[in-house]
Amino acid sequence: MTDRAILASHLTRRFGSFTAVDDVSFEVPRGEIFGYLGANGAGKSTTIHMLTGLISPSSGSAQVAGHDVGAAPDQVKRSIGYMSQKFSLYLDLPVRENLLFFGGAYGLSGRMLEARAGEVVALTHLGGLERTMTGSLPGGIRQRVALGCAILHRPNILFLDEPTAGVDPVSRRDFWHLICRLSREKTTIFVTTHHLDEAEYCHRIGLMAEGSLVALGTPASLKKTWVPGRMMVARGRGLLAAARALRDKPDVIAVEPFGAGLHVRTARDAWDPVSVASTLSSAGAADVEVRDGEATLEDVFLAVASRPAAASAEATP
Amino acid sequence: MMERQRRFLVRVGAMAGKETLHIRRDPRTLYLALVMPPVLLLIFGYGVSFDLDEIPLAISDADRSPDSRALVNAFCRSNEFEVVLRSGPEDAERWLLRGEAQAALLVRPGYARDLARGHPAKAELLIEGSDATSANQILQKAGAIARTESLRHASRAGLAASLPLEMHLWTRYNPAARSIVFLVPALTALLMAIGAVLLTALTVSGEWERGSMEQLFASPVGRFEIILGKLLPYLVLGLLQLLLVLAVGATAFDVPIRGDLGLLFVFGFFFLICMLGQGLFVSVVAKNQLVATQAAVLSSLMPSLLLSGMLFPVENMPGVLQVVSTVIPARYLVHALRGIQLKGSGLALLWPDLLALTLFASAILGLATALFQRRVA
Repeated sequence: MTDRAILASHLTRRFGSFTAVDDVSFEVPRGEIFGYLGANGAGKSTTIHMLTGLISPSSGSAQVAGHDVGAAPDQVKRSIGYMSQKFSLYLDLPVRENLLFFGGAYGLSGRMLEARAGEVVALTHLGGLERTMTGSLPGGIRQRVALGCAILHRPNILFLDEPTAGVDPVSRRDFWHLICRLSREKTTIFVTTHHLDEAEYCHRIGLMAEGSLVALGTPASLKKTWVPGRMMVARGRGLLAAARALRDKPDVIAVEPFGAGLHVRTARDAWDPVSVASTLSSAGAADVEVRDGEATLEDVFLAVASRPAAASAEATP
Repeated sequence: MMERQRRFLVRVGAMAGKETLHIRRDPRTLYLALVMPPVLLLIFGYGVSFDLDEIPLAISDADRSPDSRALVNAFCRSNEFEVVLRSGPEDAERWLLRGEAQAALLVRPGYARDLARGHPAKAELLIEGSDATSANQILQKAGAIARTESLRHASRAGLAASLPLEMHLWTRYNPAARSIVFLVPALTALLMAIGAVLLTALTVSGEWERGSMEQLFASPVGRFEIILGKLLPYLVLGLLQLLLVLAVGATAFDVPIRGDLGLLFVFGFFFLICMLGQGLFVSVVAKNQLVATQAAVLSSLMPSLLLSGMLFPVENMPGVLQVVSTVIPARYLVHALRGIQLKGSGLALLWPDLLALTLFASAILGLATALFQRRVA
């Protein structure tokens, strides 16, 4: 067994004339948290379905836990855990019965199953809820039950398809602490998400757009590659109207509205907060305050989304 | 190898166990499977009966002998006739005309004498024939009573052989022509068909709807294991249903079980597999509970009711419908149940029905498994 948990090479899946995943290649080493990002319909779920053996690739191949997904989907399924988008639990069954059922589905039985269910309950902080009907639990707890069901059989690799959709922020943070803990114990995590703040937890990120993997790297390297220059955050009133004046100046790379303020990105040495503030003020903005900021993955996402065609760059970690 | 079989059993067991929990959690399922059928049977048995009983009967006994009274008593004893008038023959005819009696039994003088001499004794039955169906039933019922009477006399006197040219009509297996005896096997088949198809259609399409089918497909549980695990609890439920319906039929309506009870359950078992397979097929194609419910009811209720010979004999159907009825499993079950329950038939006679059920079961299960691809919705 190598230290490579997932190896995708030229993975492609077509549905009729539509290419959902187009020539995607990447590697995920053991124990890594790999974030798979992209807009709806970018091909994230299709990639997961191929890697988990649910559908077979049209061309290309992938090795998961050392098994080929096209040739040996059953071996793949045995070594992975999968948590689908809707946390497909049985809501009319108690928490414990859900755990026991999924344990049985993976071939666990008897005392081993009982013991493992107890461990998982402790790990996912579900103590005291074993007899509660799953349907009566809030989303955040259901999500932990679903995670528990997916890790009961100690999979080496865990696939999470938008695990935090519709879950409150506190539960999301707790959930990610659990994920980080599993990763430290050498479980490989392949996760898709819409929440870009969560992607910061990932060791590496792959960005999908229209079926292609357009960016791949650590969060820091992605920011450096895709959002170069100096990032500043401006606050004040009348900023949107003044933004246009700033955009036309030389060495200004981008001016994007961000929350109530503006993200201003310039060539590294051409501008500073003082000069940006005075330009915005003279263009009609009031109470302007500008300070140095840090690029976020959202900036990366926007930069990738508005990228010039065929400018896909691959940053090395 | 051992490990592989253990895992197979564990996975099927997990599926079946989970399904059992679903059933226990949802009283509607249990109601549908175990309460509704006996209730329906009771309603049909008591309410929807094609039988006439307490037929108003006028009696004119001119013989007034112990033998003639025995004949009159034989008519009175059964629940089917109710004596409304005892008088002379003219009065009896008048009552018949006025519609106050539907039949009149006239015993001529010399009835007992003829009996004692070994001559054919004569009694007449006048029937109000304006409703042919009722008249036919009265004729049958009266005939049955008269035959029982004459058999009694014949065996007592050993005189049966002295009437060489008399023709006897003798209805076997259901001499009183009680329609419930005929209906219980049919209703059993109908109720089992609806229950089994509907329940499986709902459980599998629910799994699609919930999204948990995708989760199952991502686990090592194979499609055959899913099907097996899903069907087992409903198979047990269906056999319980059969037992219950038979028990209600036997206790409330005296429907006999003359044949082998074990064979009856063998037929029930294969029929249930057919129906569960059909439900599975419906749900694989439908994938949502609403469509599945409608398709399930339509595909089980209508053909089982109309084309199985349950109500209308298959032999009387137009040729095309007779051909269609050959792929309706209920047809074979109804035939077999009637055979076993009423006639005490054995496998020697009923094997074609069992073969047909087995063929249908394998075909529908094979088709459903093939369509039930390991794919995401």
